[in-house]
Amino acid sequence: MYKTFWYADWSFPIFVALLSSGIFAGTHMYYVYKIGAFNDVAIVAMLEAGIQGAGYGAAAAFGASFLFARVLEGALVGILDIGGSLQTGLGIGVPAILLASGITAPIENFILSLLTGALLGALVGYAILAIRKLTVGQSNSTFGADIMMGAGNTSGRFLGPLIVLSAASASIPIGIGSTIGAAIFYIWKKPVAGGAILGAMIFGAIFPISLE
Amino acid sequence: MEMIEVAIKSIIIGAFVGVGVGAGAARMFHAPKAQGMGAFRTLGELNACAGDAASHFSFGLGFFFNAWASSVGAGAFTQDVDHRIIPNWAAAVLMRKGKRPEDTLHNPKKMAISGGIIGIIVVAFLNLTASAIPESLQAIAVHVLVPAANLLIDPIMPVIFWLAALDAGKRSGFWGTIFGGAAHLIMGNAVPGVVLGILIGKGVDDSGWTKVTKTLLISVIVLFILSAFFRGFDIQLLESMNMAPPEWLLDFHKLLGLEVK
Repeated sequence: MYKTFWYADWSFPIFVALLSSGIFAGTHMYYVYKIGAFNDVAIVAMLEAGIQGAGYGAAAAFGASFLFARVLEGALVGILDIGGSLQTGLGIGVPAILLASGITAPIENFILSLLTGALLGALVGYAILAIRKLTVGQSNSTFGADIMMGAGNTSGRFLGPLIVLSAASASIPIGIGSTIGAAIFYIWKKPVAGGAILGAMIFGAIFPISLE
Repeated sequence: MEMIEVAIKSIIIGAFVGVGVGAGAARMFHAPKAQGMGAFRTLGELNACAGDAASHFSFGLGFFFNAWASSVGAGAFTQDVDHRIIPNWAAAVLMRKGKRPEDTLHNPKKMAISGGIIGIIVVAFLNLTASAIPESLQAIAVHVLVPAANLLIDPIMPVIFWLAALDAGKRSGFWGTIFGGAAHLIMGNAVPGVVLGILIGKGVDDSGWTKVTKTLLISVIVLFILSAFFRGFDIQLLESMNMAPPEWLLDFHKLLGLEVK
């Protein structure tokens, strides 16, 4: 099964190229229309600071260091973190470096932005495969991937209770709604997080709180 | 005219992103045999919804309102579009009629197709509706989901990963602690450091101090030094020890385009 297209190593750069192409074009959208960047407000703000003339140093350094860390980590643990590597690294860091050097075409032109993103994504994909070959492929170690998967699964379980707790801090009705939703979902043998959110939303629609 | 341009571009972007995210998320369940992409938190959250369509949908919905608010306010989608909304909604679409996660969520082909469709809808919607989000729902996202997710990322995940490193043996515990502490100081979150610590610890446990594990340790140290420098950690360290940073160091930062206040 792990030799077929959808699971194989060789198809991985194709998926990274597709995703990166879209993310890079998202930065093009932001540059041209001020909407559509695939990142959090704080990180997009660093790029915006550069566009406004305050220097691209912060965005470039932040993006590049994330890209480097995530590519190394992604190859070893088997999961590439797209937030750090592609959304911040390729989507913010690389455009910042390009714009700082006065190269605007790959960001101003939609088609070029798609191609640039795809090319960079493919490079990241191949870099990961190369690191995998040199590390995981050469030894019998999986470098603790099982431990990290276990920890990832455990932390997911915290989400349900956390949502009820922050709902209770938001307002009393929302807290009550969230608690009821979580309890009902638990009895139904459904994940608590889903019920906690739905309950909070229903009660929040009836007893709205202001957006500060 | 601009509306049509934005719509066409959004459809292309949404399809590309959705297919990549969908396939990458499904492949995560086959790591480390297949190389996946997404994030540990995405994997954990997909598992927390346990293959239940309603849970996947409502989890995605909460973050969708947040992404919507952020798009309207700042033109930024939030990272959740790729990390949470597309994977969870793609899973929700596939999970109808009580299908098993093994045949749906874990299948890259099905997730790529369903992710592509969801991607087109979500990206086009976010780019085209620059207003009109119900404020009460926006408030829930800001006051309930965001704090919960922030708590999950810090301190819950660092603690869970750290404890897993401590339980995994002396070497993982030692390197996890060293790099976890350093990562929290330098990067603001301990998880990447603890993960790298487990990598080194387990790598050495399984195969000893080979060329691979030595290279790994050195690259991790270089990585920490570089990101400390680029974030101005060296200057802050000197200042918090009540020492004036030397002029040449400030000049060196300036030379590389990073103004340090």
